[in-house]
Amino acid sequence: MSIRFRTICAAAALAPLALLAACGSSGSTSGSSGSASASATASASSGSGSTTLSETGSTLLFPLFGAWQAAYATAVPAVTITSGGTGSGTGIADAATGTVTIGASDAYLSSAQLAQYKGLINIPLAVAAVNVNYNVPGVTKPINLNGKVLAQIYAGKITTWNNAAITAINPGVTLPNLKIVTLHRADSSGSTFLFTSYLNDQDPADWSSSNVGTTITWPSAPGSLAETGSGGMVSGCGSTKGCIAYIGISYAAKATAASLGTAALANKAGKFVSASTASINAALATFSGSTPKTGAQSLIDTTAPTGYPIINYEYAIVKTTQPSAATASALKAFLKWTITTGASATYLGAVGFEPLPANVTTIAQNEISSISG
Amino acid sequence: MTTSATNVQPDGGAGSPPPRRLGAALRGVFRGDGIIRWTGRIGAFVPLLALILILLVLVVRALPAIQFAGFKFFSGSTWNFGSQYGTPVKSDGILHEPGEVFGALPEILGTLVTSAIAIIIAVPVSIGAALVIVERLPRRLAYYVGLFLELLAGIPSVIVGLWGALTFGPFIAHHIAPIIADTLGKIPGLTGFFGGDTGNGQGLLTSGLILAVMVIPIIAATARDLIRGVPILPREGAVALGMSDWETARRVTLPWVGAGLIGAAVLGLARALGETIAVAMVCGVALGNLPTNLYGAMTTIAANIVQNIDTAILDPLDIRAFAELALVLMVITLATNVLARLLVRRVSGTALPVGRGL
Repeated sequence: MSIRFRTICAAAALAPLALLAACGSSGSTSGSSGSASASATASASSGSGSTTLSETGSTLLFPLFGAWQAAYATAVPAVTITSGGTGSGTGIADAATGTVTIGASDAYLSSAQLAQYKGLINIPLAVAAVNVNYNVPGVTKPINLNGKVLAQIYAGKITTWNNAAITAINPGVTLPNLKIVTLHRADSSGSTFLFTSYLNDQDPADWSSSNVGTTITWPSAPGSLAETGSGGMVSGCGSTKGCIAYIGISYAAKATAASLGTAALANKAGKFVSASTASINAALATFSGSTPKTGAQSLIDTTAPTGYPIINYEYAIVKTTQPSAATASALKAFLKWTITTGASATYLGAVGFEPLPANVTTIAQNEISSISG
Repeated sequence: MTTSATNVQPDGGAGSPPPRRLGAALRGVFRGDGIIRWTGRIGAFVPLLALILILLVLVVRALPAIQFAGFKFFSGSTWNFGSQYGTPVKSDGILHEPGEVFGALPEILGTLVTSAIAIIIAVPVSIGAALVIVERLPRRLAYYVGLFLELLAGIPSVIVGLWGALTFGPFIAHHIAPIIADTLGKIPGLTGFFGGDTGNGQGLLTSGLILAVMVIPIIAATARDLIRGVPILPREGAVALGMSDWETARRVTLPWVGAGLIGAAVLGLARALGETIAVAMVCGVALGNLPTNLYGAMTTIAANIVQNIDTAILDPLDIRAFAELALVLMVITLATNVLARLLVRRVSGTALPVGRGL
């Protein structure tokens, strides 16, 4: 009896040590074999080495990235691409810390981030937009909203849909006496950055510039909900009557399927516009001429009367110095593919994105060329 | 160390038992006890070393944030990571993002209040459940109920969180919260806390209830084992004296295991204080928001860290503030444990539990 007990005790005490030893040894062996295989693929890069590119980040880009991934797997079977919709903040952080090869982001890198992580670049891949969706039963026409009204809704100052401030900009639409439930992203999100940029640009008095970012301190609005990912916003809004949410255009079909309405938003010219190919391109035309070489540019709140106010470049955040020549060349080839073959309507049309203008494509090409192994 | 080594002697008095397969093999390896003794000694110091190292690293990492935020870290109720896109500004000699403010009071309170709600609900429910399982249910049924309880304790917290976010939270908000607001919320003086907007299922109440759900199996399973260990004689004696079941439980059974029950409650409290992902999924992630009533969106220390680590990691000062938050959470947990030990000692110090108050 007692000897068996002691045996078990001894075994139990030794098990973690054994595990530790096993981990240590396997770690070191895999480490050495890892470097060996890396050098092997590097030398075989001219031949047929297999390379893995990993991606995390923007859930707004995620559906498009999934389509790219599938097509690229057929076109270039030697390169394996893994992807995850984790929110833009994670994409930026993972790319900065070197956890992944590509960090996808709806937000460009700030100068502070660039200063902290040298050698990090943001490459524009496509043009996207963010919608403001709502769950207000019985309203079929798009509700008109502007930055001032939205800022007050998110600040908890406007609390019902039939508030005078909303009805004033929606003549002829009967809005119900329904409580507004504001939804915001729980994770660090590019959509949050774009939406809050719009609020700040339209109404700096109610929405200060310190509340613009991928993670912000939301004002206290009673009953507000936090959702993870663009998908979480769609399902959360779908199940909450009276909700309002900002959701990337790549989820527009899902939002419609969840019977959510899509608002027409006021641009700087004061016109209410819905997101469409024409309105996104009209807005883009006012910005693309002045896109800097770094690709970092806010496309928020266009002055074009027919332009949609919340559009952005979708970015791939990458390091210019890659761990190996093989990874660098695979990465460059893939990124080039995304802005050429991948920029066709087959891929972009399905998610409501627009291709980059010619001059921005050139900027992206130049940025891609700066990547080395 | 040596006493524990001498304690591990075969006390069965079976002489030298015949060597068996694994036992013999192991004994061959550890002849002379030297290796096992040293393994034991090193093993004993590893947890202590880990604790000291974690504390040390956290303090060193948190220093700039402590300098930057000062005492406002505990008194301020605004938390803002600052605008990543603004030009850095200098204040008190420290370069930081504009708008950057660290006031962790709402998170510290959020952690404490959600855990308090959980314990207030979980302790009576758990002890009641344990009493029923041990004293009322038929043995076979009690076995299965107990098994179920242990299974419940093993559910990964992310699953509880998912259930809370999708089903439990909205149910509470739409069916339970209005009842609370209509009853407790109508009592003068309590209107502020129990009345008002009942929310949509993310916030203080849901977080507390979710924590209660996670803590009940832990406390109940421990309490059941404790109560099962109470000898039958005192209980029979109490019944013989004409006590009702309730009186027996209150005056004999529970005092007998009082210290253990406090230990069980603290075990649950420690779990509740540190629980991260389930709370992060149902708390509403309202940074720097001191909820005005029981239903308001809030956040806890752990939930803030897990939800915003991506943002924090990109700014040198934010990550320091997280280190300070982690330090605060660690101190709270350690303080809880120390307090529990003191309580247990006090309760178990009062000589004979039976007969008190009789």
